[in-house]
Order: sequence, then C-alpha cells, then structure tokens
Amino acid sequence: MSDSWRDDAGLTRRTLLKTTGVVAGAAGLGGCLSGRSPADAATGAAFKGETAFGNCWICYHNCGQQVRVRDDTVVDVTGVDGHPRGSAGAGRNGTVCPKGQTQVDKTHDPERIKRPYVREDGELRAATWDEAFEYAAQRLQAFDEEHGAETFLDATSWAETPITTQLWRNLYGTPERISRGVHVCAGPTFVAGGMMGVGSNSRVPDYQNAEYLIMWGRNVFESFAGQFEAKGVLEALENNGATLVTIDPQHTETAQKSDVWLPIEPRTDGALALAMANVIVEEGLYDETFVEERTYGFDAYREAVEDKTPEWAAEITGLDPGDIREVAVGFAEAAPSAGISVWTGTAQVGNGWKAAQNIIALNGLVGNVDRPGGLRMWQGTPLADPFEVRGVDLPNNAAGKTPALQRYDEYADYPVRHLVGIAHNLVPEMVENGHINGIYCHHDMPLKDGNAEAWLAAIEEMDLVIAVDVYWNGVSRNADVVLPEATQLEKDTLGTGSWSAYNDRQWVTGSKAAVDPQFDTKPDFDIVVGIAEAMGWGEYFPWDSHEEFIDDQLSVHDLTLAEVSGGDRNYELLGEYGYEQWTDDEGWVFRFDLDEVPAFAQAAEEAGMDTAPEWVPPGTYGDETDEEYPLEFYDTRAVFFSHGSTQARPRSREAYARRHDLADRDYRGNYLVINPRDAAERGIETGDMVAVESATGRGELMAYVSERTRPGFVTTEYGFGEGSTQPDEEGLNSMRLHDTQMDPITGQPDRHLAVDVSPTGGE
Amino acid sequence: MGEQWMFYFDPNRCLGCQACSVACKVRHGRDPDADEWRTVHHLRRGEYPDFEDVPISMSCMHCHDAPCEKVCPPNAIEKREEDGIVTVDRDRCIGCHYCGWACPYGAPTYGDDGLMSKCNLCLGEGPGGGAGQPERKTPEEGGSTPACVDNCVGEALKAGPQSEVMAEASRAAAERFENGVYDGRVIVEPVREDDEADALADGDGWLDG
Repeated sequence: MSDSWRDDAGLTRRTLLKTTGVVAGAAGLGGCLSGRSPADAATGAAFKGETAFGNCWICYHNCGQQVRVRDDTVVDVTGVDGHPRGSAGAGRNGTVCPKGQTQVDKTHDPERIKRPYVREDGELRAATWDEAFEYAAQRLQAFDEEHGAETFLDATSWAETPITTQLWRNLYGTPERISRGVHVCAGPTFVAGGMMGVGSNSRVPDYQNAEYLIMWGRNVFESFAGQFEAKGVLEALENNGATLVTIDPQHTETAQKSDVWLPIEPRTDGALALAMANVIVEEGLYDETFVEERTYGFDAYREAVEDKTPEWAAEITGLDPGDIREVAVGFAEAAPSAGISVWTGTAQVGNGWKAAQNIIALNGLVGNVDRPGGLRMWQGTPLADPFEVRGVDLPNNAAGKTPALQRYDEYADYPVRHLVGIAHNLVPEMVENGHINGIYCHHDMPLKDGNAEAWLAAIEEMDLVIAVDVYWNGVSRNADVVLPEATQLEKDTLGTGSWSAYNDRQWVTGSKAAVDPQFDTKPDFDIVVGIAEAMGWGEYFPWDSHEEFIDDQLSVHDLTLAEVSGGDRNYELLGEYGYEQWTDDEGWVFRFDLDEVPAFAQAAEEAGMDTAPEWVPPGTYGDETDEEYPLEFYDTRAVFFSHGSTQARPRSREAYARRHDLADRDYRGNYLVINPRDAAERGIETGDMVAVESATGRGELMAYVSERTRPGFVTTEYGFGEGSTQPDEEGLNSMRLHDTQMDPITGQPDRHLAVDVSPTGGE
Repeated sequence: MGEQWMFYFDPNRCLGCQACSVACKVRHGRDPDADEWRTVHHLRRGEYPDFEDVPISMSCMHCHDAPCEKVCPPNAIEKREEDGIVTVDRDRCIGCHYCGWACPYGAPTYGDDGLMSKCNLCLGEGPGGGAGQPERKTPEEGGSTPACVDNCVGEALKAGPQSEVMAEASRAAAERFENGVYDGRVIVEPVREDDEADALADGDGWLDG
C-alpha cells in the first residue's frame, strides 16, 4: 500500500472544532430545531391524534419509536427524544434508522405469514390457532417418545419474551439450545473477553468521554447496536476533538470520517495488536500501576510481544510501520480516555480467538478498564423473575442431561466441546448422527449463519420443525408447524440492556402495542403459552397477558409497563453506577494469559494454541487462497439490513440498490463488491451477473466494481438468496460458499473463504 | 409575512444511511421505488486505499429565487410569501418538466401521472400536499419537524426559519452562507480544512452516484 496516504489531505478529517475554533456543545446541536413533534396528517401542525410508542426490534437493540396511528394503521415513525438507545442522550433528538423505519410497512405487509399452518400429507395447510397448538403438542409428545426430548433443539434468539427457556428446557426437558451471540455472532470476542475479565464490554467503549477511539473491524456509522453508538462517536469527534481510527480492509463510512484509516490485510488483526503492544511496552507507555496491581500474566504477554515490532507486523498486515507506531502511541498516550470497539469483524474468522485476545489485551496494558473514555464495564438492569414473583414451582426436566456435543465420542476431535454446548456448523452432522432430530426456530435464521446447504438438508431431515416467523423463508416453508408471529408494534414489549447513551445509568424502555395483532397472528408470549397449555403445562404460566408478566418483571423497580410507556416518553433511567467498579472486587484481575482457565487451556492445547497472546497466521484454521481460488471472500453488513430479516422489505432493498447506483435494474439481490483490478482481469463490469465459487459451493449475484474494497478481497451483504426472506430468493446466500470453517475454540463460523469469481454473461 | 425557511446540512455528521430519504417516503406515503424528494448522493474519487466516498443529502432547497417558479408556464409553482416554502398546485401542473430543467438540484420528480411533486418541507402530506396550507410553524409553535430532519441519525439535517437555522450553525457555516456559497440557498457546514470542500463545490474529480 501507499505509505503517503496521510499526506493526502483527502484522508485527513479535521473536526469542526479545528475548523471553526468553536466548540459546538450539546446545546448548540440539540437546539430548538431538533426537537420532536409529530406531524399532523394534513397541515404540518403538531399531530393531535393517536400516537404510540415502540421499542424497535428490527435489530433487537431497542431504540425508542414514536409512531403515528390513523384508522388502526401505523402511518409514520420517529424517535423518542433523550432515549437511551435511540438518541445521543438527555435532551437530544431521538431518531429511527432506515431499517427501523421499515417497521411501519412490516406491520401491515400483505406478504406476511397471515395464519397458522400445519403439515398434512406432506403439504402445509392453513389451520386455526387451536388446531396448530394441538397439532404441535401431539407432534412434540410423539417426538419425545420416538427420539427423546433431549434431541430437540431450542433455537430462540431474540424473542421479545424470555419464557422460551422455561418451555423447552424446564418443561420439555431438552439441554440443546443454540443462540446467536457466542455461536454465530462474535464467539471469540465474547468468550475471550469474559475470560479476560471484561465480558463482552469490548464492543462499546465509553464514547462520550473518549479522546481516542479505535474502531477495530467495526463500521460503527453504518452497523450499530442502537443509534446511540453512531451518535456517541460523533459526539466524541465534535465535543472532545477525539481522534478516530478505523481498522478495516474495506473503505466504509467510518473509515471516511476517521483521522486514520488502516486498510489492513484481512485476518491479520492479531499481528497488528501484538505490534501495538510491542511499541507501548518498549516505549514504557503502559499503565504500570494497573498492570502490576490488577492484571495476571503480564510476563507471558511481554514475552509474546517482545519481537513483534511494527516492522514485523508491516510485512503481515500490509500497513506502514510508522502508522502502526503512530496509532499505538496515540492510543497509549490518550489512555485511559482511549477506547477500542471490537465485535464481529475480527471474530468471524478462523484465527479470531487470538485476534480477540491480542486486541482486548491492549486495554489491560494501557489501564483504560472502566475509566472514563475507555473500556466501560456496563451494568445491566436487574429485572424480577416473574416465576419467582408468582411462586411458580418450575421443574427442571433437563437436569442431568448433557448436550450431545459434550456427550458423544463422535465429537471428541472438536475442541469447542470444552467451552460450548453446541456449535452452529456441527448441527447438520448431529442431525446425521441422530443426536438432533427437531428444532423450534424463533427469531432465528440459521441458513445465513454458516454451511447453508448442509443446514437446508438438515432442516429437511429433521423429524419435527416448528417455525415461529413473520415471513416465509427456507425454514418456515419447510416447517411442520408454522406459527405466524405478530410484529413488534403489535405487541406489548419491555426492553433493557447495559450500554446506552447514558454511561452511568441503568434503564428500561417499555411500550404498549400500537395496534392489535394484524391478520391472524399472535405475539410470541401468547404463542409460547399456547404451546405450553396444549402440552398440559398451563399452570406454570399463570399470567393473563404479556403485560402482566412485564409488570412482574418491573416490580423490582416499583414500576408498571403503563407507567414506563405513559406520558411523553417510553423509558425510565434507573440506578446510577460509577467507574472503576473493579475496585469493589478484591479478587478481580485482568487476564493477559488464560492458563488458569481450565476449559480454555484444554481446548487451546487440543487446537495447538498457546494460552497467552500470540500470532496465529491466516489459514492455520480455515481457508487459504491459492491459484484455483485466488480471492478472499467475506460477507458484510449495510445500514439498510438487520441480519436476514429486512430483506423482505422493499424500502430496504431500494435503499441498498440506490447506494450502489443500481436502482434502475430489476435485480434486487445482493452485490458482489470487487476491486476494478480484479474485475478487469475477469472482464467484469458493474451490473454484470457473476458466479462466485468456493471449494464447496457456488452461487450467482450482481457485481459492483468499486475502489472501496482491496484488490484480492471481495465482499457482499449477507442474508440474501436461497432460503432467505428476500421474496424471490434473489442474490447469493453467501453461506452456500461455506463448509464448516470455524474458530476451533468457540465454534464461531469463519466467514472468510477462498473463492474465484467469473462472469456468467448475464446482466 | 413570515421568515424564509431553509435547510441546513452538516456533511461531517451525515452517515449516508438514507434515514432521511426513507423517512420522507414513509411520512408522505410514497412507494419505495418512487423517485425521491430527498435523496442521498455519494461523491467518490480515488483508488484504494486513497479512496473517498462522501455522502450528500439533497432535496428541494426552497430557494430564495425559486428558478422553478419563474419558468412554470401555468403558474402551478408558488414561492410562498409567508414562509418561503415552494409548493406545487398539481391541479395546475401540466407536466412539462420546465421546472426540472430549471432546478439547480434536480429536485422535481414526475410520477406515473406525469405531474410534478417534490419536497414541501412537510408543510402538508403527499404530492402537492403543501399547496394552500397555512403558514409553516416551528416545533416550538406547534408545527411538525420535517420527516428527514426528525430521523437523521447523525443529526446532520436541520430546517427552520433562516434566523433560527443560522443561530444553530457554526460561525464558519454562517459566514460562508452570507458570502454567497451555494448561492445562499442552503446552509452547509464546511467539510475539512482542505481542498475537499472546494472540490465538492466545483465538482473537481468527483463521480456522483
């Protein structure tokens, strides 16, 4: 790469602060023109009719919504001012991002699954709810008799009610559960962070107080966990004059707005992190007091980085050693008000474990842990357990049952069994072995998460598939029972979490349904209770409504859903908490070396890894490019889509097409982003249909030729094509190219694949 | 006689996410594939890794001199005295596209019926919804916030009477506006202190997408 890019003024962002000499404070930005006031239908005067609130669930991060309802139809949506997830904080305008806005159309979408279906004589037929619940119960009982309930997989990820575990684990009695976070999102980041002492907090630093921010494989301006993230970074730039660094092989909106963009060779983040540590240690810029008093394994870490100079890393990462040094020094000197945000970008890769460990270690080194502007140890908000509130005596019918992955010799060669109960890519093999025979799939779309072809076959193979969904897709179409769910604005919801625009407060957000469930659909709470009642377990669910259940959850705060969602906002700020919370726990240490974590030590030994930070080259686990497959493929996220769920929405597809200047084509699938040099070699132009082929799969999609991506590196948005909610299944299901590549420690699917691309002759 | 309403745009805060253009269509009940009243352009230049992509959110700017109004044969377009908002009376529009040629921003759109529609600053709802409406009120006076401003994730867009927008702009943006940058039609925060702002203004080397 060019080492002169920093001299190119075009890549240097200077904040308004520097431009104008004026600090634009919150008051200046949150002035009277930014305030919320809903519009009247006809006059531009303030709307006097019916407004309702929502907790946006498009990406399940609970930005506040204020919706306008006319004749029982949701017609407009905006944000809630000051909302913890959907605004920049107190007094600031609440907004709803482009994918969240599609909730309006989704509510009344005639393409939704409108009624329950059950499979009879091989075909799905429409059924009443009573029939569907009864049918599901009969099938579940027969399944238990034939296969054993312990071979039924609970795949509920982001349901808007937490009662699924009580149904599937406690009552039905299966130990098999797969969720998203560790299994398909960012296993290495979450698990390594937990073992090192900071949990999954490495995702969201203390933006508002930061003076130096590193977006490590993150595109926070286009892919955020609540809009407060993008807004928080803008605040740091504008109010603190913070330095923004983006580390990403692909140019993004975040790279564009960064002071420094490090266009790194994919899968080499672990080397960059070691080299940064080398500089920080060599130049004595680390926090000696914190390291000495509050960390474990520093000697092993120091030894690991001793010879990992910027010059060493430059060879591997393709970056300029001077730039590596500059970022290392800048980060260390700004610490503790320096934060790293790292999530999926460095995790969905075979050597992701060491990338995560090496990157997270930098926080312990500079001592930014739970200090203003650094790695914030966010506190969740406690809720009461409604089962306890009501004195429900739940059995645990899964007690003593071991997940198949940890139970059978067939899986003895997979180190993941030491850390997790299931791995996404191994489920098809488990189905073949008869260890998984059925699934309850709810707020989940396994066909976009890894080895799609094998999963499609596994869904076919399973004896019982229950799908709770809003749209037809590769799972719901192949299900034995299809239970159509009401969408977010049609149900009462309670949302909470840890990180938000309020960096020292716990919070809840709650909303009453804006409209009744559309068509013949039901909220998920009612669906789970309906199945339970048909199974004869109604006594364990004594609530007459989800609202009653939510009120029990809120009882610990002496609040009700009606109170939270009443008035002019739908959130409450609760308990305050301070910084340096680790001082309250004498035993707490930040671990550089994980040799004292037995499960990891065992898995690492089997995987051939050290317990301390180290460099693991690409291809050690997973693909390597070669002559036959010379390009590296990875799938990405755009601001218009949330995983695989919003591809059903025309507004999202249109926005994505416009972003690529291809809205004038009929095609509404995903685009393969390919550098002009790679495209020219293959005779490919923007708008051409191309075939992408890996060693194990193939698919077609439209090319978008752009300098946004590195030569040798091709990407596409995931969640399209075969099995997806895209109504025509247009585009490429990127996971058709995938086999079982994964991080050997957590089982996180490795989405970096060796491919080649060729024109198909179509346009 | 009220004060001229205007838009404000801060490219340093625009994320290119299209929340503005989607919100516009949702508020006005317009189809996903309809031509946009507010649209996000991307200006691109350079080769990897010296590549840049700058999003710009554009719409009708309700120009003080309203070139579209001047050329409209049937006088369907009105530059309103009371708030400066440029509206279209679709009962008078003959679909001749003169306004589209005159507009410096390409703001007018023409539907399947051939008639013009464009941003009306959410004075009213839907195509032609601004025609004949009473004076635009600010949120403080009980008026609505335009949909694009209301959902701008980066808070890059603002709209309101000129003096109020000027009060919220940076000194540099206000000075540029007073010096006639963008012909005094819209207040824009300066991009970096480099050649990019000038390049954006004169189109130097940028591909518009």
